[in-house]
Amino acid sequence: MQTWMSLFYKLPPEPTSKRVYVWRKLKRLGAILLHDAVWILPSTPRTLEQFQWLAAEIAEMGGEAYLTESRFVLTGQEEALKKQFIEQVDKVYAEILGELEREDADLTSLSKRYQQVRTQNYFQSDLDKKVREALLSEKGGIES
Amino acid sequence: MKWVTWENVGVDRMACAWLIKQYIDPEAEFLFVPTGQKPLPEGAEPFDIPGVRFTHRRGHCTFHTMLREFDLKDPILHRIARIVDEADTVQDIALEPAAPGLDLICRGIRSTCPDDHTVLERGSIIYEALYAQLAKEPI
Repeated sequence: MQTWMSLFYKLPPEPTSKRVYVWRKLKRLGAILLHDAVWILPSTPRTLEQFQWLAAEIAEMGGEAYLTESRFVLTGQEEALKKQFIEQVDKVYAEILGELEREDADLTSLSKRYQQVRTQNYFQSDLDKKVREALLSEKGGIES
Repeated sequence: MKWVTWENVGVDRMACAWLIKQYIDPEAEFLFVPTGQKPLPEGAEPFDIPGVRFTHRRGHCTFHTMLREFDLKDPILHRIARIVDEADTVQDIALEPAAPGLDLICRGIRSTCPDDHTVLERGSIIYEALYAQLAKEPI
């Protein structure tokens, strides 16, 4: 069974730049906000470390953060959440695939986006491989 | 002097330990404690643990903090700090292609070593090499 990490935090309302900063970091990690209250990520050594530092940073900014590990009790909820994580990255993968169809596709920036989204691919989206193959075939298909 | 950090060191702490040995305290002795353990051993300077003096500051890695606290100005060390930052923390701007690779290699070192002391030993080879190569490049 999957272990999940939850981050609950509070920051002073001003300056808003700090709130934006934390929010961007959470989005960058691919965390999902549940009920406008708690940010959730599957627990891995990397996510644990990143959440831990973020909690420390929030405290440094004069806020307060709680970080917990937990498991789902009710059946089905975990699957639904995993699906949400997959949908989140699939959206980006699909965009990359769409862009790749264009004649003037910017391969450099698409590869970069692919690398970024991969760091949030916590539950092995099927599209990951598809995008990788599409990018490689754009480069001349050396692997095929 | 003694330095203490949490066990299972990664890219940032391997860099810090190398920096300490090379530039701050050649006699440094490293201790490792389980993650989250309190209190920390007395008489040892803690690093890369939330809340201590040498830790992440304003979203930057501990290596970066150490350069600042010890007033180390070598631009090559600052370049390494940038690389470690991108390898170890969530950054919007990615200017160092070596960063993700460095993180991967450091994780690999960790999984091939019997203990953290060996990790630091092998890690220092990586940072020595990185420094030597960066020294040849325009900053």
